[in-house]
Amino acid sequence: MDATTSRTAMVPAINARDLGKRFGAIEALADLSLELRRGEALGLIGTNGAGKTTALTLLQGLRRADTGNAEIFGHPAGSVEARRHIGITPQNADFPEQMSPREVLTYAAAHFDRPKPVDELVAAFGLERLIDRRMGGFSGGELRRVALALAFVGNPELVFADEPTAGLDTGGQDMFKAYARSYVDNGGSLLLTSHHWDEIEHICDRIVMIDRGRRLLEGTLDDIRHKAGRNRISFTVPAKASLPPWAREHFQRSGNRWSAISAESDALARRLIADLPALQELHIEPLDLKETVAQMQMERTI
Amino acid sequence: MSILQANLVLTFKRLLRLPGFWVPTILFPAMLYAFFGAQTAGIGPAANYAVASFAVYAVLGVAFFQFGVSIAEDRQSAFAVWQRSLPARPFASWAARLCAALVFAVAAVALVLVTARLVGGLRMEPGTQARLLATCLFLAIPATFMGTALGYLASRHSVVAVANLIFLPLAYLGGLWVPPPALPSQINTISQWTPTRHMGEVAWATVAGRLPPQTSVMALLTFTIAFIALTWLAYRRDRRSRFG
Repeated sequence: MDATTSRTAMVPAINARDLGKRFGAIEALADLSLELRRGEALGLIGTNGAGKTTALTLLQGLRRADTGNAEIFGHPAGSVEARRHIGITPQNADFPEQMSPREVLTYAAAHFDRPKPVDELVAAFGLERLIDRRMGGFSGGELRRVALALAFVGNPELVFADEPTAGLDTGGQDMFKAYARSYVDNGGSLLLTSHHWDEIEHICDRIVMIDRGRRLLEGTLDDIRHKAGRNRISFTVPAKASLPPWAREHFQRSGNRWSAISAESDALARRLIADLPALQELHIEPLDLKETVAQMQMERTI
Repeated sequence: MSILQANLVLTFKRLLRLPGFWVPTILFPAMLYAFFGAQTAGIGPAANYAVASFAVYAVLGVAFFQFGVSIAEDRQSAFAVWQRSLPARPFASWAARLCAALVFAVAAVALVLVTARLVGGLRMEPGTQARLLATCLFLAIPATFMGTALGYLASRHSVVAVANLIFLPLAYLGGLWVPPPALPSQINTISQWTPTRHMGEVAWATVAGRLPPQTSVMALLTFTIAFIALTWLAYRRDRRSRFG
């Protein structure tokens, strides 16, 4: 590896500093800095209007930042050089109705030096039945599959996926999860926004949460869980058994299962074992991302 | 496949599979000639005048619908935004759009000429026909910028209505349907301030074997510069609002 190649290999996929964007009186993004390393998947989460799509459009070079700057593999975001490295899933998949997926994929592939074979993407995203049909009559989910394939057709080093599985059936969601994770495992970089937080958990190595254009939280899922410091503790008891009064205060019942989210799950477990001889199926498990963030928001720790 | 080829294939396939585009732009001028222009076929110079008028009308239609409508629709399409993320400069898509416009304009004018021969029994020298075709390509320049300005000013929802509201009156005012001497005098006065009248004058001079009137050439040059300026302003406004 020569010095240039070595230096190039160290350049992050995304290096954004202090990005800011206003739309009139609304501050859509404020001083957002992001770095995405090669071979890493970063999940950008937040509520509707949090600034995720604005952040993505600035990084893709589709809009200009009011402040700050962004580089893609060392090239200014939006430059032709930067665009050679990226693939994008359009959030609104309003493809030309007169064209087939194969025609649009072939069109996109012509812009890249080493595109992926269209047939590989057909298999990866379940497009076999659709590939040569005109897209005018496609359902939202079918168009979404085409949008996913489009992001990868140029064999890019970085993919921006903005709510890629919105409107997609569970089979399609699973296909995307598997393909995206395999893409990252093979050295690709991925910036993913999604309201399906299980998707973020499954695919992403790191998570950034933004709200009203500002970063609230950043870290791996384990970091975030650790920061929240909560676990879910749950158990069952036979129908005739009764819970001690202290346990009734701590736990809520759902079906035949009692559960609680607690920072002191080990201590609670010991107390349950001591006070409740009929205790069955005691579990202590980490919260998922959605529960963790909800808990942190409730406790105002973010 | 090169980027230019890819854009050409995409542009032609989209347009050819869209009867809403090619029926009015390619078939209507010939059809309208058959209804209203063919009756002049036996009247010497009037026959050539009618053919030239409907040829200009055809060029205008391509400019308004190929550029005006398609640009307005693309401006608000997520697919067009996505296309901007591809590693290419805008040259290829513009070149493809221009190439398609020229092909459709030539096809529309050629169909008017064929219809004139088949329906009206028109006899026009091949050299005159070739000159008319070349003149139409020259006239496509101001027409294209007119269409482009419209495309950047109108929304995708209003553009078809706006295009028709401008295109049809301009064709009438320019004397493309009714010869200027037959227009009511007030309309004829207004006519001289329209780009279509000067496009017509240049085309009529071509089929009459005359040099185009200098005033019309100058007027077309002025209109072209004005439409370029309008296009530029509208383009910048559009870019600021969508990508700024």
